[in-house]
Amino acid sequence: MSTGQRFIVSKAAVLGAGVMGAQIAAHLVNANVETLLFELPAPEGDPNGNVVRAIANLGKLEPSPLASASRLRYIGQANYQSDLGQLRSCDLVIEAISERMDLKLDLYQKVAPHLGAHTIFASNTSGLSIERLAQAMPAALRPRFCGVHFFNPPRYMYLVELIAASATDLSLLAALESFLVTTLGKGVIRARDTPNFIANRVGVFSMLATMHHAQRLGLSLEVVDALTGPIIGRAKSATFRTADVVGLDTLAHVVSTMAEALPEDPWHRYYALPQWMTALIDGGALGRKSGRGIYQKAGQEIHVYDVATASYRPQTGALDEPVAALLSGKDAGDKFAQLGASAHPQAQFVWAIFRDLFHYCAVHLTDIADNARDVDFALRWGFGWQRGPFEVWQAAGWQQIAALIARDIAAGKAMARTPLPAWVTRRSGAHAAGGSYAPAQDAEVPRSQLAVYRRQLFPDQLLGESAPQGTAIFESAAVRCWHTGDDIAIVSFKSKMHTISDEVLDGVLQAIELAQRNYAALVIWQSEPPFSAGADLTQAGKPGAVERLVAKFQHTTGQLKYSMVPTVAAVDGLALGGGCEFIMHCDRAVASLESYIGLPEAGVGLLPASGGCKEFALRAAQQARGGDQMPFLRRYFEAVAMAQVSRSAVHARELGYLRSTDRVVMNRFELLHVAKAEARLLAEAGYRPPREDRAIPVAGRSVAATIKVYAANLLEGGYISPHDFVIGSKIADTLCGGELEAGSLVDEQWLLDLERRHFMELLATEKTQQRIAHMLQTGKPLRN
Amino acid sequence: MSRVLRDAYIVAAVRTPVGKAPRGMLRNVRPDDMLAHALSAALARCPGLAASEIEDVIAGCAMPEAEQGLNVARVALLLAGFPDSVPGMTINRFCSSGLQAVALAADRIRLGEAEVVIGAGTESMSMVPMGGNKPSYSPQIFERDEHIAIAYGMGITAEKVAQQWSIARADQDRYAAQSHRRAVHAIDSGEFGEEIASFQLVERAPDLLSRKVVITQRTVSVDEGPRRDTSLEALARLRPAFAARGTVTAGNSSQTSDAAAAVVLMSEAALKRYDLAPLGRYLGYAVAGVPPEIMGIGPVAAVPKVLKQVGLRLADLDWIELNEAFAAQTLAVIKELALDPAKVNPLGGAIALGHPLGATGAVRTATLLHGMRRRAQKYGMVTMCIGTGMGAAGVFESL
Repeated sequence: MSTGQRFIVSKAAVLGAGVMGAQIAAHLVNANVETLLFELPAPEGDPNGNVVRAIANLGKLEPSPLASASRLRYIGQANYQSDLGQLRSCDLVIEAISERMDLKLDLYQKVAPHLGAHTIFASNTSGLSIERLAQAMPAALRPRFCGVHFFNPPRYMYLVELIAASATDLSLLAALESFLVTTLGKGVIRARDTPNFIANRVGVFSMLATMHHAQRLGLSLEVVDALTGPIIGRAKSATFRTADVVGLDTLAHVVSTMAEALPEDPWHRYYALPQWMTALIDGGALGRKSGRGIYQKAGQEIHVYDVATASYRPQTGALDEPVAALLSGKDAGDKFAQLGASAHPQAQFVWAIFRDLFHYCAVHLTDIADNARDVDFALRWGFGWQRGPFEVWQAAGWQQIAALIARDIAAGKAMARTPLPAWVTRRSGAHAAGGSYAPAQDAEVPRSQLAVYRRQLFPDQLLGESAPQGTAIFESAAVRCWHTGDDIAIVSFKSKMHTISDEVLDGVLQAIELAQRNYAALVIWQSEPPFSAGADLTQAGKPGAVERLVAKFQHTTGQLKYSMVPTVAAVDGLALGGGCEFIMHCDRAVASLESYIGLPEAGVGLLPASGGCKEFALRAAQQARGGDQMPFLRRYFEAVAMAQVSRSAVHARELGYLRSTDRVVMNRFELLHVAKAEARLLAEAGYRPPREDRAIPVAGRSVAATIKVYAANLLEGGYISPHDFVIGSKIADTLCGGELEAGSLVDEQWLLDLERRHFMELLATEKTQQRIAHMLQTGKPLRN
Repeated sequence: MSRVLRDAYIVAAVRTPVGKAPRGMLRNVRPDDMLAHALSAALARCPGLAASEIEDVIAGCAMPEAEQGLNVARVALLLAGFPDSVPGMTINRFCSSGLQAVALAADRIRLGEAEVVIGAGTESMSMVPMGGNKPSYSPQIFERDEHIAIAYGMGITAEKVAQQWSIARADQDRYAAQSHRRAVHAIDSGEFGEEIASFQLVERAPDLLSRKVVITQRTVSVDEGPRRDTSLEALARLRPAFAARGTVTAGNSSQTSDAAAAVVLMSEAALKRYDLAPLGRYLGYAVAGVPPEIMGIGPVAAVPKVLKQVGLRLADLDWIELNEAFAAQTLAVIKELALDPAKVNPLGGAIALGHPLGATGAVRTATLLHGMRRRAQKYGMVTMCIGTGMGAAGVFESL
């Protein structure tokens, strides 16, 4: 930084408590950043009435913008009339009011005198000119002004576009980028100050092209969604469900920005919504926020808008089998060639939307982005595409596709007549070993050299990039154990969904054994989420074999806890059942914010038997410190019996799966870095495993009976089934130490034996067998 | 040795206003302080009677632990400034504790072993939750099937009564709305003015700006439970509170509450000695058991029993205070005993006025005696169902 001082955000403010502003404030407090949320003063009553309502509304949104409901109270309430003075103490101010230049300029003049000497002031505009906004600030403040564009919903969408104005202090921008990446856990793309920046410019063009070709080929809207969802590597919400979520009016606004600001654009005539969508907007059908848009809920069903009849009807259209077969083909190049050659309208459609997308990106790369990597990541992180446009193109054969596009341009089939830029024909792809193509340099440029990215040992990979493999220590069919050139061993699972099989247990045990002898610490880390979907249920065989496997699970978690080497679980995404129990037994867990941790065994008619119940019994005894264990046990019982899965790492701590000593990491790509640092710290502190407690006071049979009374009332009230009650009773007995008097002293093995016995008893019941079979067949729990 | 029973007279019956629990106006008032207040107020209504003449204070409390633990009757009477010579005893029969305390006090007098005794009740459901702070159930409940009903929450038992007596959701909601309507009307007509001893609230809160303790005081004298905005539509929208497909909701169940009440009883000789005019005469009390899973039906067993004891017929009763634990059980009792709905809870019941468990019996005794006196009625009854399957009923004569 130019000042040589660290950039610290001790407090932030968000101006504008609309959908985006309030959710950005929520994400700031998710990251433990104290935040003031500003809105216009309410005309009557509490002057902060508008903000109070916006904050209350955050608690109702799904998926939740909050890591935990308890975070709500860290958002401070403020209004422009009486609280502007408080801006002085804010290091970062994000403006997120409505997208009107006049309102924004007016607000800037009002707040400018109140900003602190070092405050960064950033606009969350989705498309207005950052340069024009900067001009509204006094000259002295312009170096500290920039654009910071979050995507909706900001907690879950990884992308933030960072846009400099001409006077922006670039070192300050770098500091802000580091803050966004590490503290808020976002993926930052530097965008040019062009209308709608990168992701919306390309993403919205893609939607317009989709609508254009759908209309041309006479495809119904639900068929378009079937064709533009996961089958082509896009988000499940495809095109029109996405539009409903975004809001058709918002979409219209973004489109009109393009129409007004890009008069010379070769695709300008397509920068308009189709007539039918304008009619929907005029009729108040704005999407999810107004209860209807392109889709509408009709009882249990969801009806779709029919353009021809201008009314909603049941969804009847579907993907045609031959097209589905084509789309699921393995060879990407072959796929596009066949789609283009097919006479089937659905096939024609898919080829056409990709062709025009590729064409558009190739032509506009120079104006909107520094390089092709930024375009691809912007679409992946901002629109949930599995691959960016250049990656898809390149995977299908760069030159071959370029020739097909050129052919269609020449034939007048493409949406614009502009030829492909020369760099396209000169190259064999947008990405190569040296980096991604940057038109300004007419060369490949490497990734950002900003120090913050050194924390990402495994950054998100682009097509053709390979993750660093490290040095293998050993590798089996089930796990890979390796290191990154130092003395910390890492073990990663190779199974699907990282489930834990007999062979994975062998691998983990071997890794612990080797780490004890040759390494300072062991980290369990997966190259991508989930951390683990739990035990491999397909291995449930004969009772004797199952019991031996359960005992091996227990032995493995015991080793994670008591071996002579510190163990750290690096958690991201789902961590269920045995995966959760691994976490509970490691010396530390380092979990990304988006960790969904739980013990859902009850859903398949079982109970946690890899030490999960044992740990909860032990923790309750420790937390009660000789007093009443019931308040702790009741919470743990609810977590296990109701198969509660956390909705964030913060929530997992509240549920008791994570301990107060476990860490929450905001950026999943920094996970291994932090996990290794934590492992290093444990080793450096002269690691000794915890001393095994051989005198654990159990809650005993009366507490078990009291918990069962609670379950009996749920059963009698019809909230749970008789088999749920049986499972709940066994969980209660296990957590309370079995048929013992309160305060009886047992060791861990006693509790593990109880776990295993009750697990085997449940497994022998018909209803549990039905639950397991149902889960294996459908992937969903059976209530029986 | 045989004795002739004497009469026991009620000379004072007062109560605090009833607050909502756990977030109502009395949430920060300790139950021992509430009881001390009721005792002082009751004594103040008996000019000429010195506290030292009181021979015992019997107080009912349904969850006698923590803030209302130890022996809350003795603690409260000492807090009230009664002399050390006055003894005190806390008794528990769940929801009839307050009425049971009045009956026990009356019996001491009727037997001739005491001249002046106070029967009382106190409960802070804000401070001590239903079930107490540390509920603990016998493992035997799950060892023998016939014991399972001990485990049932009161709401489940209300569902079972609703099912067995075919009490529809709509009828429960209509009854609940009527309870609020009657209570609001009673408040507006000043019906509770005589029985309520207004309470001086003192609350201490930190002012983080001035770094000082801010003490606020206000006087409360009106029951907090009745809602003017209750409508059938609003009640119909509530979800079942205890069973997935049930009919019992928070709206047609009694409210959890905080309150205390005290009833001063004395012999005829004492009446003369202190020159006091009685409010009424205690006639009798009965309690009976029913299956725990339908505890709400308890009054059906207790009411005929007490009527037989005192030699009255149902038709002789002018006023029946039937504690509305749930609209479902209230309606089932009315149906089963063929009670006249107009005579039952004319000023509203626990659905609107609240149900401070161990205090309720004494609270409603005060309501009955003052109400009958204003209307120049003669016989009245206080009755209620009791958790784990019992019913209690007491009969009073207005004088």
